[in-house]
Parts: sequence; C-alpha cells; structure tokens
Amino acid sequence: MRVTEGMRYSQVLANLANITSQHAEASQQASTGIRVGKPSDDPIAAAELARLSASSSQTKAHLSTIDTVRGDAELTESTLSDASDIFSRLKEIALQGANGELSADDRKTLGVEVDGLKDALLKLGNTRGTRGYLFSGSAVTTAAFDAAGAFQGNDTAHTVQIGNSTPTAVSTSGAEAFVVAGGRDVFADLQALSTALAANDLTNIRASIDNVSASQTQLINARARSGLVLSKLDASESVLTSLDSEQQKRAQTTGAADPYESYTRVTALGQSLERAIAVSRQILDLGGNNRF
Amino acid sequence: MSSLTQLLYTARDSLTAQSYGLSVTGQNITNVNTPGYVKRDPLLETRALGTATTGSVTATGLRRATDIYIEKRELSARGSASAASEHDRQLSSVEALFNDLGATGMGSALDGVFASFSALAANPNDPTARTAVLGAASALAERANSMADALADTKNDLLKQAQATATEINEKAASIARLNQRIVAAETQGEDAADLKDQRNNLLLGLSELVDVRTIAGDNGSIVVQASGTTLVEGAESRAFSIDLNADGSLKLLATSVGGSSTSTEVTQFLTGGKLAGIKETRDVDVFDIGQKLDQLVFDVATAINTQHAAGFGQDGVSGRNLFDVGAVPAGAARSLRLSAAVAGNPAAIAASGDLASLPGGSDNAVALADIFNTGLTGGRTAAETYGDIVGDIGQRKSAAQQYVETQQAIKEQVQAMRESVSGVSLDEEMVSLTKYQRAYEAAGRVLSTVDQLMEELINRIGR
Repeated sequence: MRVTEGMRYSQVLANLANITSQHAEASQQASTGIRVGKPSDDPIAAAELARLSASSSQTKAHLSTIDTVRGDAELTESTLSDASDIFSRLKEIALQGANGELSADDRKTLGVEVDGLKDALLKLGNTRGTRGYLFSGSAVTTAAFDAAGAFQGNDTAHTVQIGNSTPTAVSTSGAEAFVVAGGRDVFADLQALSTALAANDLTNIRASIDNVSASQTQLINARARSGLVLSKLDASESVLTSLDSEQQKRAQTTGAADPYESYTRVTALGQSLERAIAVSRQILDLGGNNRF
Repeated sequence: MSSLTQLLYTARDSLTAQSYGLSVTGQNITNVNTPGYVKRDPLLETRALGTATTGSVTATGLRRATDIYIEKRELSARGSASAASEHDRQLSSVEALFNDLGATGMGSALDGVFASFSALAANPNDPTARTAVLGAASALAERANSMADALADTKNDLLKQAQATATEINEKAASIARLNQRIVAAETQGEDAADLKDQRNNLLLGLSELVDVRTIAGDNGSIVVQASGTTLVEGAESRAFSIDLNADGSLKLLATSVGGSSTSTEVTQFLTGGKLAGIKETRDVDVFDIGQKLDQLVFDVATAINTQHAAGFGQDGVSGRNLFDVGAVPAGAARSLRLSAAVAGNPAAIAASGDLASLPGGSDNAVALADIFNTGLTGGRTAAETYGDIVGDIGQRKSAAQQYVETQQAIKEQVQAMRESVSGVSLDEEMVSLTKYQRAYEAAGRVLSTVDQLMEELINRIGR
C-alpha cells in the first residue's frame, strides 16, 4: 500500500485521540469511583439505578414516617401505663374503702383522693402528641374527653404507609381504651367509686372493686395494643434499614467502578499512551527530509 | 539520422520536459498539506515528427491521481459518518436532561412528591407537612416544565440548524455548479482544470458531510450531483433545498426545480446521510419519542394524583379539588403541568382525609396518594419503573449512536486512507521525483554542452 504523509499524520492523530480518550475515561472512573456517570455509560445499569434511587427514597420516606409516628406511639403507650397505674391506686382505695372498720370521714377522704385521680386520668386522656390529641381519633384538634369524661373524639384510626404492604394503624383508639367501646367506661367506674365513697355506700364501694379492676384490664389491653404498634414500628424499621442498606449496596454494585479494576486499567492505558507517543514520534520522524 | 542541430532541439525539449516534471513535483510538495489536493503526475511522451524518430520528449500535461470509485465511496462514508456524529452529538444534550446520576433528571422530583405524601400521612394536620406537599408538587411541575421546555428548545434549535444546513447545502451546490461551468470551459479550450477539480472535490467532500451525495460524471469534466434522491447540481444549474414543517411538526425537506421554479418537491423520504439526516433523526425520532414518553408519564402521574386528591377532603371540608392542572390528553402534559389554582398557596386544601368525618386528622387519603407511587400506571409499570425505562431508553439510544459513530468513523477513516493512498502526496516519492528530474535536467544540459562542443570543434576545423 502506498503510504503518504497525510496517512501518517492521520494515523498518528487517530491513535493518540483514541488512547487519550480511553485514558481520560478510565482516569475519571478511577478518580471518582463512578462507573455509570450518565445513562449511555451503561443503559441497563442507569435504568436500574434510577429505579433503585426511587426505591431508596421510598424506604427513607418510610423510615422518616416511622420516626415521626413513633414519638406519639411511645407517648400513647406511656400514657396508658400511667392510666393503668392510676387504676392500681383506685383498686387499693376501693379495697380500703370496702373495709367495714373505716369511718364515713375516712371514706370521704378517700373519695377526695379519687376525685384527684379522676382529674389526673382526664389529663392523661387528653394528652397531646405531635399530631394533636392522642385519643381523639382523627379529631386531633378536639380534646378526647370533656370535664365529665364524656368521649368527644372519633374512632378513626391514624394510618400510615411504612412499607409496600397495606396501610398500618399507628394510633390507639381512645374510645376503646377509656369508654364503653372497649367494654367499660373508665371515667364512669371512677365516678361511681367516688360517689360511693362520698356517700359512705359500702355496697357500691364493694361493687366498684370489680368494675375498677375491669377498667384497669381495659387500659392494660389498650396499652398492649399500643405496645404492638411500637413493636410493629420497630420491626418495620429494622426491615427497612436492612432494605436501605441492601439498596445502597446494589446501587454501589451497579453504578460504582471496581477500584482495583479501574486503577489497573488506568495504569495499562497510561503505558499504552506512552508507547503510542513514542511510536508516533518515530512515525513523524520518518516523514522528515533528513534521509535525502 | 539525426543531425547535431536536431540533437540540440532534443536537449532543449528534454530541458523543458524535466523542468515541467520539476514544476509538477514542486506543486505536489507545496500542496502536501492542502486539504482535497490530488497528487499530480506529469505526463511525458516522446515527440513524434512525422514518421521519423527524433528521440525528443514533450510534456503533454498532467494527470490527477484519482480513483472515481474510491471518491464515490468516500462521499458516502463521509455522509454516513457525519449523520451518525451529528445524531450522537445532539443526543448528548437530550441525555443530559435525564441524567439523574448527575442530579438533573425528574426522579428526585417524583421521589419528593411521594415523600411529601408519606410525611403528610404521618401528620395530616401539620401545616408544614401540607406546605411540603405543595412544594414537592410545585417542584415536580417545574421540573417537568423545564425538561419539556428543554426538549422543545432542542427541537427548535434543530429546526434552525436544519435550515442553516440547507442554506449551506445550497451555497455549496451553487459553487459546484459554477465550478462545473468553469471546468467545462477550461477543458473545452484545452486548458488544465486540475485546480478547479480539486476545488470542486473539496466542495463535494464538504457537501457530503451535510447531505447524502452521489456523483455521476458528465461531459467535458462536468459532474451531476445527486443529494437526497434528487439532482442537486447538473451542469451549471443547481437546485435549492429548503426546510419546512409537516402538520405533525416533523421536518420536511423540499427541493426546488432546476431553473429556480417556484414548484417544490418533497425529498425527505430519500434523506439518508449527512448532518441533515442526523438532525432529522434526532429531532423527529429521538426527541419526539422521548417527549411522548415524558408526557405520558407526567400525564399518568398527575391524573392518578388528581383523581385520588379529588376523592379526599381538605381541612376546610371541601373535596373534588385537583392537585395539578394538566391537559385532558397526554400530549403536552409535561410542558403544561401546573400546580392547580384550587390548592396553590392554600395548604389547608390538601386532601389528606378520605371523608368529612375524619377531618382534620384523617390520613387515609394521604396514604392512598403515596400508594400511587407503588401502583402500576399505563403499561402496568410504576412511576419510578417507567421513569427508569425512559432513562434506560435514552442511554440505549445514546450508546447505540456512539457505537454507530465509531463504526462509521472507522469506515470513513478506512476509505480516506484508501483515497489518500491513491491521491495523497508522499514526500518520499516527491523527493525521489525531484532527484529524478534534477538529474535528467543536468544530463540534458550535458547533452547540450556536448553538442555545443562538437559544433564548436566542427566550426573551428572547417574554418581553419
């Protein structure tokens, strides 16, 4: 084949441009650690990364939701625990009041304590969390109970999505915890005890013992349900954290450059570039006129 | 039998012929780096004088070292490489729009809307969460608008580039037609038209990068140039290309009749190469397809959100409000997407509750809104999956275009090397030629001086 000056120069230019371009690309991969920097670098991986990014964002959003609702769930659980403690004391008072040796004044004094506990229970029933009143259902801006202990909220559960499964209820029903929807109206039982103590009505005081016990059981059950919500949140958080970690690992595997491979490639291409420059110099020297 | 005087003339002819050879070699050396220059070979012949052998020489002209088939292949290879290169170059800007890996795509905006619904479900009565929904929805609308605007700008830019390319084609075609005329005139008068042919060849090479070109040799050195399936140049006449738009917005390539008639013929369907073909493919195939897919995704997401949002209730107890303003059909959805005026600036209007009774803390509608992102849209794919498909599609197109560029570039370089091998100047050869003609010139000079000596000897002897 007849070789001309133009062919020599074109060949040198094409070779150098090709190796320089490959070297630049490999250097970028090695220095950034990113193999897929734009969709055309690896279309399938880019599509996968876009989907993984969306999945990861969703996972993080679910984790954030768990963080947000956990505060109220924990507050609900501790509030119901406190309410249950109140009923432990009420049971003691009822047993004490049922003692036939107690005077009417002693029972009246116990009645005053019961009234105080009723106020405390009302306050617990109207506890506010970050979302509003904890036990009002979706009527979060309305106090769950009025001064008489009548329920003013609703039974709509607060649901959130903490995974790709069905929505999860994260609230505890105030109606089921405190009023007849759960079997007993705890405020009414408490009021009955207070009234019986004030009236020195031994029969009703004794009758209240079982009712107070039943009310406490109702509160304990509600607390257990709220504990289950917390457990569910913890379990979901654990699953989502693992999922997030797995998604990040997959994104890393899909889009990141293997450091050893990329460094090796840069080194090999660097050597190729040096060789290409040396060969180019020789080719260009051949084109000189010093032979004639 | 030749006389001394005849030998003098022979030496004179030789000096002239070798001088011509030196002159052509000098031309070749001078133009070693001139683009499109075709190496010349001096044509030397023995000079005949009747039937007698005089042994003299004459330079009859020069020959341009060309191969018509290689030249044709080069035109075609350049056209294909140019189309591929333009297609790839234009796709780069489209790819950049959807590069979520470089944080310029729409994926984060879609994720933001999901996250805002999710946070709203966690605390439906929180004004901050409601405002965040408006912010995320607004960000999605802005991102969709800016991507659709960028695609529309790309289409407009490509239209302008196509028009500028058509103008450039017309200028080159007119120049080729003028050169045709000058070449015919020169050759008719027996003059050398090599330089004019080089100029025409250069113009043809330039033209082949703009549009697919074929040439047919005409009479007296003239050529017929066909481009996009139609005759662009014939003799001293050239046609003009122009760009118009079809009803669907795609490009239309029109060719006027030879002679400047106002009648135009559409030749778009025959356009296969050159920058113009690359522009058309990017604009009418890739940008169009990607725009359609983006519109469909935006339309599906916005419509699904609107349907769900309208089913819920705002804190003011009002239902039936859309979150987005989006057209009734997918076409243009990305560009026209707006936050609905019914909710803009009014966080309380965000419908987190599924019914009136669950106000103000009901979260079921917010949950359902977030769930849209886990539900299949058109084609049964979720929004994230569909968006991933679009990103993959663009990557695939760009990657295929890159590979095609490499292939076409390799073919072009190969054909160019073949042309260069035939038509290029080799300094080695020229240096040899230089020495060859120099030595021949010196030898002819020696013949001359020998004849001179002989004649002097003869004259001196006769005169004594």
